[in-house]
This record gives sequence, C-alpha cells and structure tokens, in this order.
Amino acid sequence: MTSRPDIHGVKVEAPATGTGGVLPDLPHRRKKTPLADRAIDVFLLLFGFFMVLPLLLLIANAFKTPEEMLAWPPTLVPREPTISNFTSVLSSTPLLRWIFNSLAFALSSAIAISVTSAIAGYLMAKFPSRTMSVLFAVILATAIVPFEVYMIPLYFQAQALGILNSLPGLLLGYLVMSFGIFLIRQNVIHSIPDELLEAARIDGAGEIWIFVRVVVPLLRGALGALFVLAFFQAWTAFAWPIIVATTKESYTIEVGLALFQTGFTIDLGRLSAASALVLVPSVTIFIFLRRNLVQGVASTGLKE
Amino acid sequence: MSSVEIENVHKIFGTTHVIRDVSIDVPDGSFVVLVGPSGCGKSTLLRMIAGLEEISAGEIKIGARVINEVQPKHRNIAMVFQNYALYPHMTVAENMGFSLRLARHSKDEIATKVRDAAQILGLSNYLERFPRELSGGQRQRVAMGRAIVRDPEVFLFDEPLSNLDAKLRVQMRAELKEIHGRLKTTTIYVTHDQIEAMTMADKIVVMRDGVVEQLGDPLTLYDRPVNMFVAGFIGSPSINFVGGRIARTDGAAKFLSHSGVRWQVDPRVAEVAGGTPVTYGIRPEHFALATDGESGTLPAVVVTVEPTGAETHVVADIGEDRITAVLRERVSARPGEKIHLRPDPAQAHLFESESTLRIQPSGEAH
Repeated sequence: MTSRPDIHGVKVEAPATGTGGVLPDLPHRRKKTPLADRAIDVFLLLFGFFMVLPLLLLIANAFKTPEEMLAWPPTLVPREPTISNFTSVLSSTPLLRWIFNSLAFALSSAIAISVTSAIAGYLMAKFPSRTMSVLFAVILATAIVPFEVYMIPLYFQAQALGILNSLPGLLLGYLVMSFGIFLIRQNVIHSIPDELLEAARIDGAGEIWIFVRVVVPLLRGALGALFVLAFFQAWTAFAWPIIVATTKESYTIEVGLALFQTGFTIDLGRLSAASALVLVPSVTIFIFLRRNLVQGVASTGLKE
Repeated sequence: MSSVEIENVHKIFGTTHVIRDVSIDVPDGSFVVLVGPSGCGKSTLLRMIAGLEEISAGEIKIGARVINEVQPKHRNIAMVFQNYALYPHMTVAENMGFSLRLARHSKDEIATKVRDAAQILGLSNYLERFPRELSGGQRQRVAMGRAIVRDPEVFLFDEPLSNLDAKLRVQMRAELKEIHGRLKTTTIYVTHDQIEAMTMADKIVVMRDGVVEQLGDPLTLYDRPVNMFVAGFIGSPSINFVGGRIARTDGAAKFLSHSGVRWQVDPRVAEVAGGTPVTYGIRPEHFALATDGESGTLPAVVVTVEPTGAETHVVADIGEDRITAVLRERVSARPGEKIHLRPDPAQAHLFESESTLRIQPSGEAH
C-alpha cells in the first residue's frame, strides 16, 4: 500500500498552494487583514508539509546508505547520496515488469469499468422497467458482499478458465463496479433530461448514436471521476493479485513490493527505492487525471 | 407542409384513460393551439403526433400518410420543447445542424441552411457560442432554429415560452407568430396560457380530462363558449357566474339569482331556457358604471378597486354574488361603498346549471 501516501500528499498539497491564487479573487475574503491571510497560508503550508513529510522521507531513504537510514535523528537530505539501492532493485527484481503489469491491469480495469458503468447506468436510468429495477437492486446488493467471501470461488473459476498468472486473470473481478453503475445512473437521472434524448430521436439519431454523441459527452465529469477511482482501486489492489499471480513475472507492483518485507527482515533501502520508483507513474497519472477531473466536475455544474 | 388529421384517438396508460376519442383537423399551413389546464392531455396528444408516445387507438395522419407506426425521425416533424433540449456540449451552429448532419447532408449545405435560419432568428452572431452562454430568449430561438433548419412538414411546440419571463414571453409570442407568417408551416402549439392561445392561434382546441371541449377560432370561443368550462378558461379576468333560474314577472322573463337579484336577459335566450336551474355568465368588461334609477342597473357593494391605468378592475357583491367588473372609467369608490352596475344583457350567456352547457339563443347561427 505504498501508493497511498502519494494520493494524500498531492491532495493536501494542492489546496495549500492553491489558496494563494484563489483567495484574492473572492471579494468577501478581501476584507480580512493581510496578517490573518498570512497566518492561514502559514498554517496550511505547515499542514501540507507534515502530510508530505513521510513521502519525502521515503524518497530520501531511497538514496541513503544502510547506516544512515538507521541513524537518529533521521536526515531529510542524505549526507552521502547513493543510487546503489536503485541499481540493486532494478537488477535483482523485475520491477519495471511489475510496474508495467500494474499499469496494464489498472488501465484495463478503469476502461472496462467506465464502459460497463456508462452503458448499464444509462440503461437503468433512462429505460425503466420492472426488469431493470430488479436488476438494479441485484447489482446494488452485490456491493454489500465483501470481496473475501467470493475470493476463493473466483480463484477456482480463474483456474478453470486457465487464466492464472495473466492479465485476464487479474481483471476477472475488476471489469464491473456496482458503485460505478450506481454513480452513472444517478448522474444520468440528475443531469440528462428526457427531452434531450427525445429531441435527438426526432432529429433522426439512432439509440447508439444518442449514447455516444449525446450521453457520453454529458457524462464526461462523472466518467472521469469514476475512471480515477477505478484506476486507483486496481493499482492498489493486493489480495486478488497475490492470489491469482503466482509467478514472479506476473506480479503487480503491490505484490512485488510486499516481497521486500519477509517474516524476518525488512529490506528498507531497496523497499524505499522500489517505492520511490513506483511513485513516478502513479503520481504522473494522478496529476493528469486530476486536471481532467476538475474540468469535468466544473462543466457538469453548468445546468441548462 | 402538410395537414394533420387526428381521428378518434385514444391514449391509455395502464388503467388511466388519458385521451378519449379526440378528433382534430389541422389544415395545411394553419397555427393550431391546444390549450387546457395541466393534466388535460394536451402534451400527451402532441407527443403522440411526434411519435414519442404510442397511439392506443385511432389514427393520426400527416398529409395523406397514417403515421401511427412510423418512427419519430421518419415523420418529418420538428419539435420545440419547454426546456429547449439543446445539446449543452454543442455550439449553436452544431445544435442547429445536428439533424442535417444525421441525414448526411454535405457540410456546405448544412452551413448554408444554418446561416439562413440564424438570419431569420437574429442568431448570426451567436453561432459559435454554447447554449450556456446564451440568455433564455436566445436559447429559445436556437431551439426554433433547430426546427426551422429541417424544413419539416409540421412544427410541434410544447409550452415553449413558459420558461421565459413575462416581458420576453410577449415578445417571443409576436416573433413566433411572425415567423409562422413567413414560413407558413403547419404548427401545433401546446400551452396552458389562454392568452398565448388567443393571440397566436388560427384555431384553438380547448381540452379537459382528455376530451376536446371546444374547437374554433379564438373569438368564437370567447363570444360563444359551448359550456361553462370553456367560458371560464378563456378570458382574463375570467367570466362571472351567478346561479339562479329564469322567472317571469309582468310578462318579461328575467334571471333571478339565488339571493333574489333580478338580472335582465336576452329574451331570445330566456325563451329557450325552461324552468330548470341556470347559471348566468357575464364577462367583466360587459358591465358599465351606471347611476341609480336607470333601467337594468343593479346595486353593488364594492369589495376592492384595482386601477391598472388603462382600466379599473372592480370586485363587488351583487346580492350575495361576488363579481368582477372591468370598467373604462376611473372609479373612486372605496370598499364598502355602493355603486350601480349595468350588465349588458346582449352579451350575457345562460348555462344549464346541471349540464353546464350554454343555452343557445333562438336564431343564433352555429
């Protein structure tokens, strides 16, 4: 679960740095004294700093020698920076392969969940019938069954299908998200009036065209949010990948990182280096998607 | 352009009979307004013409073609919705050209048609904007534009002006009427606003509870309503109703209200009305201010006086019946004061209280 801190780090840091830019635009905030403004800035910066601190220490540790890592007090900037941890990790484990596996898994899962949720959510919102209501209730009901309950049967299913140690095997439980269907259904009900679809039907559009050209563009915000959610759900998944992936080559990064931590020893230096490397793709993707997310949420707020 | 014929149409939702045996003839190029209180089935009927609701029984024809089983997109109609139903993610030009794009017209052709429609509607400077950047009136025009661009056989409007403020509504009303005058496309327009119906329609269809109460040109409906519902629905402030019966004194028939006031009536009507309970109906503008002693005047006790500038609305009690009179003069009477009003018997109607039907004076043309 090493990718957790970076999410929190980025999230908290953003408002801390953003306040300076946003505050002057709000007229009612202007009345406050500059001193109070400054104090709020300082407080938020400090708060942000403490949130990012573990992350900074993790990155710093990756560049430290074993001796310095155990030194007290811990140093934020390594005295003798070394890249031996990185070279060791990259040469002794297929780290890049694991990152690739995780990326492929998370992206495929996010795409699959976005597509299935968009289609199912739209149908359940706009084509109501008795069957749909029952189906929707069943889908919601699946959300209350913990994954651990069907983990083992799912494993046997994967085994029977012969997809252990592969991307399809990893994806088996990650193609549909009941919450996603719920989210999109609510969003469609809330933001797409029937008249819009009727107007398109009269204009001569077919149902698939309506879905692709009218509904999906209007759901951009919700789908963006769902994509991020689904991506990180898969990226941080641990239980299912460790069960279904049994060869070193097929591990995801989460499973791979856990290997540094055995029952008796924790290889701190190499774990830190590996974690620091893992941060690069996940932080990059988050930054990109976050911009998309903010845009999406902002545009759905504009009601016709 | 085409006529629309609605023949014995029914609509049944589950166990509710929403439209009952409605037949309406919409001549080619005419502007027909369906009007009625909410829930009367007018919007459902429009949606059935558009193909958004199935027809339970009966037939709808556009031109010579029965369109009961025809898909909305093949009916060659254009519909303008109350909330405009513009595609929020498309520009004005894309919104207007959407149907042409679906019909695979060439880009140049779409651009030309969109430009022409924008010209008619005064939207030329807004073609690259998004709906959210437009005012309510402009959005309404884009919705119109989307309909015009298609050059359909029939325009369908579903309460298109009810989301606009009062002033803009009056302005758009005139614009719509003017555009219809220019394009001459058969138009069916649904509204609950009787003023919109009166001002725009060639022909008004008054509906209630899924039934056509009366069908006719605006002034016929106003002057000769078939029943108390139509009389009460058309006109603002609405017609006054007084309950009572016809009584003969000294050979002359008069209307005797429940509170004992004698109102003059047209002898041609009184002759037809029997001894059954009747309701006297008179529009507010058919009262005149009078002085005591003139024949046919009635004493009234003023309740409120509302000057509008051009005229004065007086609410007063005649006997125990509260009436509203619209007077040309400015009235200085105060609440509680007594004035004299003279109803014009030639303009008054009598309705059978039980059936609510208007009693037709002998000799009146149908």
